[in-house]
Amino acid sequence: MKRYVYINDDNLAKDIYCDNRISNRKYTILNFLPKNLWEQFSRFMNQYFLLIACLQLWSLITPVNPASTWGPLILIFAVSSSKEAWDDYNRYLLDKKANEKEIWIVRQGIRKLIQAQDICIGNIVWLRENDEVPCDLLLLGTADPQGFCYVETAALDGETDLKTRSIPSACMGIDVDLLHKIKGVIECPSPNKDIRRFDANMRLFPPFLDNDIFPLTIKNTLLQSCYLRNTEWACGVAVYTGNQTKLGMCRGIAEPKLTAVDAMIDKLTGAVFVFQIVVVIVLGIAGNVFKDKQGRKLWYVQYPKEGPWYELLVIPLRFELLCSIMIPISIKVSLDLAKSLYAKFIDWDVEMVDPETGIRSNAANQAISEDLGQVEYILTDKTGTLTENKMIFKRCCISGRFYGNESGDALTAKVGQFHTRHYPKMKKPLYVLLLVCAWFWRIKTEIFLILTSMHLQCNMKYLTLWSSHLTGKECLWWLGNAKAGNFSSCQKEQMKLFFLLPILIVSGQQVRTFAEAVEQYAQMGLRTLCLAWRKLEEDEYQEWTSMFKEANSTLVDRERRVAEVCQRLERDFEILGVAAIEDRLQEGVPETIEILRKAGINFWMLTGDKMSTAIQIALSCNFVSPEPKGQILIIDGKTEDEVCRSLDRVLLTTRITESESKQDVAFVVDGWALEIALKHYRKPFTELAILSRTAICCRVTPSQKAQLVELLKLCDYRTLAIGDGGNDVRMIQQADIGVGISGREGLQAARAADYSIGKFRFLKRLILVHGRYSYNRTAFLSQYSFYKSFLICFIQIFFSFISGVSGTSLFNTVSLMAYNVFYTSVPVLFSVLDKDLSERTVMQHPQILFDCQSGRLLNPSTFAGWFGRSLFHAIVVFVITIHSYAFEKSVMEEVAMVAVSGCIWLQAFVVALETNSFTIFQHLAIWGNLVGFYAINWIVSSIPTSGMYTIMFRLCEQPSYWITMILIVATGMCPVLALKYLRYTYRPSRINLLQQSERLGGPILSSGIIEPKSRSSLDKDIPTDSVYEPLLSESPSATRRSAGPTQRLDSVQSQSPPHSTHTRKDN
Amino acid sequence: MNSGTPSSSAAGAGSADSTAPRRNSKRPKYSRFTQQELPACKPILTPKWVIGTFLLVSVIFIPIGVVSLFASRDVVEIVDRYETDCIPEALRNDKVGFIQSDRSKTCQRTLRVPKNMKQPIYVYYQLDNFYQNHRRYVKSRSDQQLRNNGSLQDTGPCKPEDNTAGGPIVPCGLIAWSLFNDTYGFTRNNQQLNVSKRDISWKSDREHKFGKNVFPRNFQNGTLRGGATLKPNVSLSEQEDLIVWMRTAALPTFRKLYGKIEVDLQRDDFINVTLENNYNTYSFSGKKKLVLSTTSWLGGKNDFVGIAYLTVGGLCFFLALVFLLIYLIKPRQLGDPSYLSWNRNPSGH
Repeated sequence: MKRYVYINDDNLAKDIYCDNRISNRKYTILNFLPKNLWEQFSRFMNQYFLLIACLQLWSLITPVNPASTWGPLILIFAVSSSKEAWDDYNRYLLDKKANEKEIWIVRQGIRKLIQAQDICIGNIVWLRENDEVPCDLLLLGTADPQGFCYVETAALDGETDLKTRSIPSACMGIDVDLLHKIKGVIECPSPNKDIRRFDANMRLFPPFLDNDIFPLTIKNTLLQSCYLRNTEWACGVAVYTGNQTKLGMCRGIAEPKLTAVDAMIDKLTGAVFVFQIVVVIVLGIAGNVFKDKQGRKLWYVQYPKEGPWYELLVIPLRFELLCSIMIPISIKVSLDLAKSLYAKFIDWDVEMVDPETGIRSNAANQAISEDLGQVEYILTDKTGTLTENKMIFKRCCISGRFYGNESGDALTAKVGQFHTRHYPKMKKPLYVLLLVCAWFWRIKTEIFLILTSMHLQCNMKYLTLWSSHLTGKECLWWLGNAKAGNFSSCQKEQMKLFFLLPILIVSGQQVRTFAEAVEQYAQMGLRTLCLAWRKLEEDEYQEWTSMFKEANSTLVDRERRVAEVCQRLERDFEILGVAAIEDRLQEGVPETIEILRKAGINFWMLTGDKMSTAIQIALSCNFVSPEPKGQILIIDGKTEDEVCRSLDRVLLTTRITESESKQDVAFVVDGWALEIALKHYRKPFTELAILSRTAICCRVTPSQKAQLVELLKLCDYRTLAIGDGGNDVRMIQQADIGVGISGREGLQAARAADYSIGKFRFLKRLILVHGRYSYNRTAFLSQYSFYKSFLICFIQIFFSFISGVSGTSLFNTVSLMAYNVFYTSVPVLFSVLDKDLSERTVMQHPQILFDCQSGRLLNPSTFAGWFGRSLFHAIVVFVITIHSYAFEKSVMEEVAMVAVSGCIWLQAFVVALETNSFTIFQHLAIWGNLVGFYAINWIVSSIPTSGMYTIMFRLCEQPSYWITMILIVATGMCPVLALKYLRYTYRPSRINLLQQSERLGGPILSSGIIEPKSRSSLDKDIPTDSVYEPLLSESPSATRRSAGPTQRLDSVQSQSPPHSTHTRKDN
Repeated sequence: MNSGTPSSSAAGAGSADSTAPRRNSKRPKYSRFTQQELPACKPILTPKWVIGTFLLVSVIFIPIGVVSLFASRDVVEIVDRYETDCIPEALRNDKVGFIQSDRSKTCQRTLRVPKNMKQPIYVYYQLDNFYQNHRRYVKSRSDQQLRNNGSLQDTGPCKPEDNTAGGPIVPCGLIAWSLFNDTYGFTRNNQQLNVSKRDISWKSDREHKFGKNVFPRNFQNGTLRGGATLKPNVSLSEQEDLIVWMRTAALPTFRKLYGKIEVDLQRDDFINVTLENNYNTYSFSGKKKLVLSTTSWLGGKNDFVGIAYLTVGGLCFFLALVFLLIYLIKPRQLGDPSYLSWNRNPSGH
């Protein structure tokens, strides 16, 4: 699975690989119709409607003109197809623009201007400053004499800062003019989507260099859609083109997510379908019996003596068609419209705009807003999600001395002073280390070892450094001369840093102090960074460098080998000090978590941090109530047995506390124990996950995050994952709802997510306001759609009993079609503006979300209520109509129109009664719809050829028509109103109670207000370490804690080996 | 009752404006619609409102009910069921046989006028258990053919009464074929009572649904004879009995206008009816009735609306009283926090 790219070879590459034509299109002109139709008909509802529409073409059985189904069906299909087509056309335009962009390349040794789509593999492409990279290039030369260039990769990973790219060492020093003629071969992997790896190597042909193999990494590439910045020009050879570029491979069509509400609607639709079949069978049998007993005696009907073979099927099929309106064809359109409006409301919300950056929230997935209101578990990342991801250098411990205090802002300067005085020798390496750390702040490494070479001088030129990662996941090797200017620009960034886990391999008396320091800082919730150095001798360095190079150019298993090589250097360190960095909580995080926890949402924190830091953060942001209410139980252990025992203990404790009191139990688990628990003790762990409202998982990998989401999803919980970084992407995609924070770690998470917000605190508004309203509105909208369909269908069924069970439709085609598509769909659409409670009330009583979580507004029993209501209303309309329009007035067209009018009037009042807040739009829609109904029917009634000619005019002149309407409305609505009133007053739901108090200024609102807490500083609010004392004293960490500092150190030391073995195994 | 004022959004908007926007940061436009803060009326069901509504309904409904009932009672209606009586007693064992035979079917009936009847007096025939709304029947007509002279061949939906050997039937279809053919003649005190058969159908039907130049063809020429025949030289738009019949009824019991008597009838007048009992309702045990009726602003005699109004009005009054009593006996403060429980599984619902 490799590809060989011959640089500058015009003849070879053309045929083998695709050209650089980018295509994001789903369809072509030819396959659009079949492909789109196929996709639409893969849904059950559409298949059903198509079947009905086809059956209607058989004139023997169709009760109405086939247009009554074909019309709406074609309309619905046309709407969604044209939406698809429009999207696809826009994609085509964008592609075209990108494809036709003019690019300088080298052909036959001459520079030429061609269109981007004609670039072939192996072509040399020249770019100028601020050009967009047209395909994946391997850098060959830049304007910079050192071979650097800068790119902005925002389109690829969302990170806006400039990244450095360098030319491969092989191309170093090649003259600009010679770059035209360069020849060689690049061996690289087949196209893949990993934007962080490019494990390839290159051989240049003579005369440029000998057949030496040079390693290539992602650092040597310019990827499609990046921009060249701050570099006059750069050139590179195309290695991946068209849709095979890294960006092209990354594009994928996400699986559509199905909300709980949708699933419920599907289930109800299924039930309705079964009901419909039952009705059809019963009526079909009744119809056939009537036909044989009575029908043949009706001479005026002229039943033939001998019918065709399918005679018995005719009447059931007629009823099937008559009852097909039971499943409303309009529901999908209505829901889609409503959902896109919910999404728009999220986009528009000015209260969810980050005031600092101006980033607005965005609903990328329009279809799942209701699920926000039904979230039961929130899985959150820590860094950058709960915290600001703005690292502030707070404290440090250097050579056994502690620096920094509560207000540790001027710390850096102070340390400098102290240090110069006391340890003049030490100052430089420490600073260099800190600066280097700052330089690499972006990289999420856990341990960071920096070795300075002999050449380290004050100007910091020629500095070789590399970092290795405890987990070996990421290894960075950086060689070259860093410009002093770049460092200073980093300083301005205020030491944004990642932390390091101390591995104290060194022996010596100093170690204890540092271990204590690390422990102490961690307890303050600070991230700790252990800095160590070792002097390298020239030959040792050279030896190592060559090994490193070799490891780095392997194509197979590169990471592991590099890690192994790096490990060789990680010994005999002299510890310089421990630095502690504060990552402050974002504004409003504790309040948000408290409100959401009150709303019955369970929080899990999944972080890569170490346990103590994670627990401190958890305490400070209200994850767990402080003692004595809250308890933290730790699951740990290195072996299977230990983990198992620990898990059992925790489970037992949780069961006891859960059953007897309202104690707040949280369990803490680290990645190692989690791995074992998920692998071998899945059942008890699942039980624990269900019992415990809170969990803190530390040292977890991205895939473990995703596994935990999967675990909760399997238990049938609605999960929401929120994160900000690339390591959260898998979790975000796995969860029912993914929320990305457009933060400092780039937009990667936000891009993968269904919703992106600027700050964590917007989550409460997203869930409590938008999610809740969406759920409530959809619950009403969907059930109402069924109600109105049932209403008209029941009338048809009743009518069949007085029409000889022969399957006559009372209503004509126009009325039926307009009823479903227009009269009853328009007013209810405006219920998307309905608000049952004000946003303030919801925020004050977040518990009201329980009703949404448990699906109390849309479930089989509420549906049964609507079903009963439609049955009752159908009886009212039918009985009143046939009695007041009896005898000489029983003209078919008039009776039908009276019944339809009755339905329209009733449904207007039903919508009005179910509306909680009337804006001007709702009034317009509800009452305007009535006017519209009459207007339309007057128009239809004035067409002489229509069956309804003059009917509406005649009816409107009759006093009895209006009297009948009033009677229908009063008879239909009075019992509904009476029941609703009784329930509202004497058995109010929680929503009702809050409505009452909200609108009458009742006492509830004045009492339960949650005062926004003043922002708690980490240092102050944290109680002593006794807070997370494990409940059971025999737990290993308990003994550890009580045994004092010496023991503690042991534990720290003993913790590291399993970690490293674990991770090595991983690779 | 109005609330829903914007809360803290103004402050949030203000502070955000000061910072320069960054990537994808086009600030959403502020409007009350986009922020879902449109002024809204939020009514709630207070006892006052609900009891008031029910009282209001009863206050409106009871008078309307009384008025409707009076209107219905004012209508004078003579109903004479004749389908059995018009068969000689000896032949009642085989009614179908009788009606299909060639015997004379003339029958004499005497009606007493119970009250003074003001003209116009409508003469209806009423059929019971006749399914004009049967699916096979109701579709068996061709509006095209009825309207246009040129659409003779448009007999698609008319099966099985669409064509004869001599060409298409006009008017085709089962409805026309089964045209009612009993006839009535009225005398009072041995004086002929004129029954006007003009304008008994809808004007719109005569003008737009039945063509002036469409004439019957091949009608009732087939082997199977249905109901009445039509005068061959009269255009369909003037065949009012056909037009009335073809306005199909939605119910199996229906009345159709036969004609109008345009003189007043006095109380205790005796009216002799000479009727031709031709129409076969015996096969399916349908009833035939002759109805003479005056009319009111609500139409014919129909107590249903009045009774329904009185019932609904009375029930609403009763409900209002009950609610008022409950309210007085067991007052309950709306929005009482003591009822607000956050227990996750309340017994309610």
